[in-house]
Amino acid sequence: MAENNPETKVSTSLLQKRWKKFKTLKRGYYSFLAILILYLISFIFPLFVGRNALLVKYNGDYYFPLFKTYQSTDLGQKKDAYGEANYRILKQEYAESGQGNWVFLPVYPFGPNENLLSELEGNPPHPPSIQHFAGTDDRGRDVFSRLLYGFNIGISFALVVTLLSYIIGVAIGSSLGFYGGKLDIFGLRLIEIWSTLPFLYVIIIISSILQPNFLLLTFILTLFGWIGITYYMRGEFYREKARDYVSAAVSMGAENRTIIFKHILPNSLTPIISYAPFAIVANIFSLVSLDFLGFGLPPPTPSWGQLMQQGLSNIEHWWLIATPLLSLFLTLLCITFIGEAIREAFDPKVYSRLR
Amino acid sequence: MKPENILEIKDLKVKFPVHGGLFLKKIAEVKAVDGVDLELKKGETLGLVGESGCGKSTIGKAVINILKFSSPDVDITGEVNIRTDDGEINILSLNNNETRKYRGLIQMIFQDPYSSLNARLSVGQIIEEPLLYHTKMNKTERMERVAWLLEKVGLQPEQSKRYPHEFSGGQRQRIGIARALATNPKIIIADEPVSALDVSIQAQVINLLQELQSEFDLSLLFVAHDLSVVEHISSRIAVMYLGNIVELGPGYDIYHNPIHPYSRALLSAVPLPNPKRKNKERIILKGDVPTPMNKPSGCGFRTRCPIAKKECADFIPPLELKKTDHFAACPYVQ
Repeated sequence: MAENNPETKVSTSLLQKRWKKFKTLKRGYYSFLAILILYLISFIFPLFVGRNALLVKYNGDYYFPLFKTYQSTDLGQKKDAYGEANYRILKQEYAESGQGNWVFLPVYPFGPNENLLSELEGNPPHPPSIQHFAGTDDRGRDVFSRLLYGFNIGISFALVVTLLSYIIGVAIGSSLGFYGGKLDIFGLRLIEIWSTLPFLYVIIIISSILQPNFLLLTFILTLFGWIGITYYMRGEFYREKARDYVSAAVSMGAENRTIIFKHILPNSLTPIISYAPFAIVANIFSLVSLDFLGFGLPPPTPSWGQLMQQGLSNIEHWWLIATPLLSLFLTLLCITFIGEAIREAFDPKVYSRLR
Repeated sequence: MKPENILEIKDLKVKFPVHGGLFLKKIAEVKAVDGVDLELKKGETLGLVGESGCGKSTIGKAVINILKFSSPDVDITGEVNIRTDDGEINILSLNNNETRKYRGLIQMIFQDPYSSLNARLSVGQIIEEPLLYHTKMNKTERMERVAWLLEKVGLQPEQSKRYPHEFSGGQRQRIGIARALATNPKIIIADEPVSALDVSIQAQVINLLQELQSEFDLSLLFVAHDLSVVEHISSRIAVMYLGNIVELGPGYDIYHNPIHPYSRALLSAVPLPNPKRKNKERIILKGDVPTPMNKPSGCGFRTRCPIAKKECADFIPPLELKKTDHFAACPYVQ
């Protein structure tokens, strides 16, 4: 008992131990930080990237276009003065007139759904330039801006789908594994029948009837995403249920609810936690593929798959192919690194080759 | 139920069905326990020995009624009567919900200290768990009780914030013992509590169990296959073979003068740390233990018994009184 001097040693739970291990796996940890920070920032992208000015001073009054839409006439725009105000033109005009009015624009003042044809010469797509880092697409929209907003949508979509599939899969798999017997036999057969439904055709059929949107797509992908999780959870529950600590809990008089949530569930999450990053990768990829095929999010939602689709039809304009592919590649690579490190951190064997 | 008994097992039979074929029909059954009568007296230690697969752990699990949880299609008949404040209760006649009320009275110490503690919970949480179900203590009272129990089993109260993976096997088994004692049980089923431990640690844990037994006034059903451990701790010993008790008697008597041919063979296999007695008559049994799926007719031991007769196939020999308090299930020995 000498090695366990309670004064000096700080106790760590299994989860804390794994988190510590995860932090030592640099590749995965830095990928995790990068993706996490970029994703968090992506919620405030309008502050850095977008068409709306952050602050406008016009005739002594301050305007906040981020929160309210102003018509071009409200702010005294002269050129192209129809519809919503164009703050880049306003900025130029205010500077020329010199009346003390000014516009404070985001660092990268182009929105993802904004048609820039009136401001750019020549026909779209325009090649990358200092102003437009990744050029414009075939409708004159800024590709860099679309890529960034597409990142947020892609990751959010994958997270929501993964979370929902996990909730359903864990609930069904746990009940099958815990109660077993007839429920298990018939439940599994139903799941097997369900899993033979051809996912792509179902989506194509639904998309051709209903206009797909974010909610509908998450719903459809969740319908097919939970099945794999169920198998994992069912197996884990069968295994953990036979372990002594569960027998101990039963013999102590724990109720089924306590046994499931306090004992078996926390001990059976390891495989699906290590699987989560790969599920997210798969879901990002599903959305990109659906968008590529044209069954995904409705236009003009910024999406990588739709950009790739444009790349395919404009194969001579390299930036339309290279930029979305590169973004997709880097994102999926980072998430795969995270998954690799999580798997390593959860591995009870100590040896490690990933640093 | 005799007044001195706290636990009585009557004609306990446990059969596990074996499923097979296309439609998973029942094709056979494993008779893990095949008609066992056993009494546990107040304050005594009853050792239950036998080789692997003879059904000794199954008896322990039947007594705390958890067989139905892990294998719902198990077939259990017989009675397990325990003395409770509400009188005698046949625990096998209760379902899981009804059993819950009496679970505080009868607790189990498990064989493997590594899998019997939930790795996600701290030691304090593990030990306080039975208190959550059987007492109305608040958080501070529970923590006080946990600290007291930890001291009782030779650990430090500060260690309640630790997690199981930070302890050695012997320490974990102490935690398991503290958990079993938390609700002041009357009966403890110890299912091979030391077989996963080093020999030096085994002695510590056995001594701890004996101290706690007199302090807490426990009746102990001690399941083991290590004969010297059982002889050390038990006041009575029951020897099992293939689901039946073949011999039952006082510990010293059984250990030194076994009657049943199986007990003789079993005890002659105990290694003796005495080089001079190296060539002591060692009884070697022929063949293997028959599978409990297909038990021989009559006496289960007759296929390997050195004194088997033709008649042994005809009837299952009952336990007969051979000496004072000493029973054996064989009519051809004295």
